[in-house]
Amino acid sequence: MIERIKEISGQNASICMQCGTCSASCTGRDLMDYPPRQVMRMIQLGNQNVLNLKSIWICSTCFICTARCPRGIDIARLMEALRVINLRKGREVLIAEKIPLEILTRVPQMALTSGFRKLSA
Amino acid sequence: MKIPYFPGCTLHSKARGLDETTRGSLAALGVELVELPEWTCCGTVFPLAQDNYIGMVAAARILANAAKMEGGKLATVCSFCYHVLKRVNYAIKNNSEARKKLNDYLEENYGGEIETIHPLEICKEIIGLDAIREKLKRKLKGLKVACYYGCMLVRPAAEMNFDHPENPTIMEELISALGAEVVEYPGKTTCCGSYQVLNDMSLVKQKVKEILYSASARGAEAIITSCPLCQFNLDWMQEKLAEENNGFSKVPVLYFTQLLGLTLGLPEESLRLGEHYVDPKPLLLGA
Ligand code: SF4
Ligand code: SF4
Repeated sequence: MIERIKEISGQNASICMQCGTCSASCTGRDLMDYPPRQVMRMIQLGNQNVLNLKSIWICSTCFICTARCPRGIDIARLMEALRVINLRKGREVLIAEKIPLEILTRVPQMALTSGFRKLSA
Repeated sequence: MKIPYFPGCTLHSKARGLDETTRGSLAALGVELVELPEWTCCGTVFPLAQDNYIGMVAAARILANAAKMEGGKLATVCSFCYHVLKRVNYAIKNNSEARKKLNDYLEENYGGEIETIHPLEICKEIIGLDAIREKLKRKLKGLKVACYYGCMLVRPAAEMNFDHPENPTIMEELISALGAEVVEYPGKTTCCGSYQVLNDMSLVKQKVKEILYSASARGAEAIITSCPLCQFNLDWMQEKLAEENNGFSKVPVLYFTQLLGLTLGLPEESLRLGEHYVDPKPLLLGA
């Protein structure tokens, strides 16, 4: 699994030094079960549970972590790899029928395309 | 001067105001945006999985088509489109595998020659702020404006190469040339929560609240952006925030091109100020 994550993301989580800059900057950290630094640690330790975290679906792909990581890790790509492994198995979180109508009818088109690309299979 | 232009899907539907004021303002400044004869959605997000080239095809086709027009540039204003086109172009230019796969698929021979350019860059670098000052029909007379960049224009810096990634000032420079007073606040390159509005509205509500409070506490009377999704989140979410707290004071959220168009004297209906949730008209037209 760790090899797969490395392959899809092109990133090596083992060089993470656990400084926490990513977690401190993260857009979704308050709503995540594990902030990005801990996600990195789980990948380092080969913990399979990393695929079941809420965090990967709360990530808004804002690239703040990527921009600030002192080790130059593209964390957003690792988050994407964790989503992609799930999505390719059909595990998704965004289901059109469940989006409240007041949002569905109002959002700009790009929100739908980007949301479905990131969060549904 | 003519520059090929890619509007993107949202600008032909929910964000017509951004499209019309971008074209109208630049036309008033002597730059004609020539829409690509054929285009599709850019894909909206840059694919981050190494093995996902299919996610780059749409943007690659748009860029290859732009390369068949005159000028070597492609203008686009939506922050998502700008992000995707710029990163896919970077991949085509710098990654030989991406270049080969995309060209084989599209039956093209495109090498990444196009420069994707944002209207903020057109204003500053091609037209020039002094030339803009001379063409203004009215000034914003000290209107206090907070500029919001969000994520897509500035990150990641190596690929986007757009102003300073943590403290960009290109929007502030333009808006001060229009007579506005710039509000400095610490949230201008934070994230509004983006597409999570569909999945977890509480995230967007929290982010919008932080951004708005930070800007309002420093006196902002309006917030400007170039992203239709930031605009929507920052604007619509204020209705929710006002429902929860009746002391909440709303701040209009506009496209920077609407303020540009206003000062250049574009007709009021083409500014499409009526399309936002928080009505900016009392602030901009009332006085
Ligand atoms: S910022 Fe980089 S090095 Fe620091 S904890 Fe996050 S991933 Fe690890
Ligand atoms: S890209 Fe995702 S993980 Fe990184 S800071 Fe943004 S929300 Fe957090």
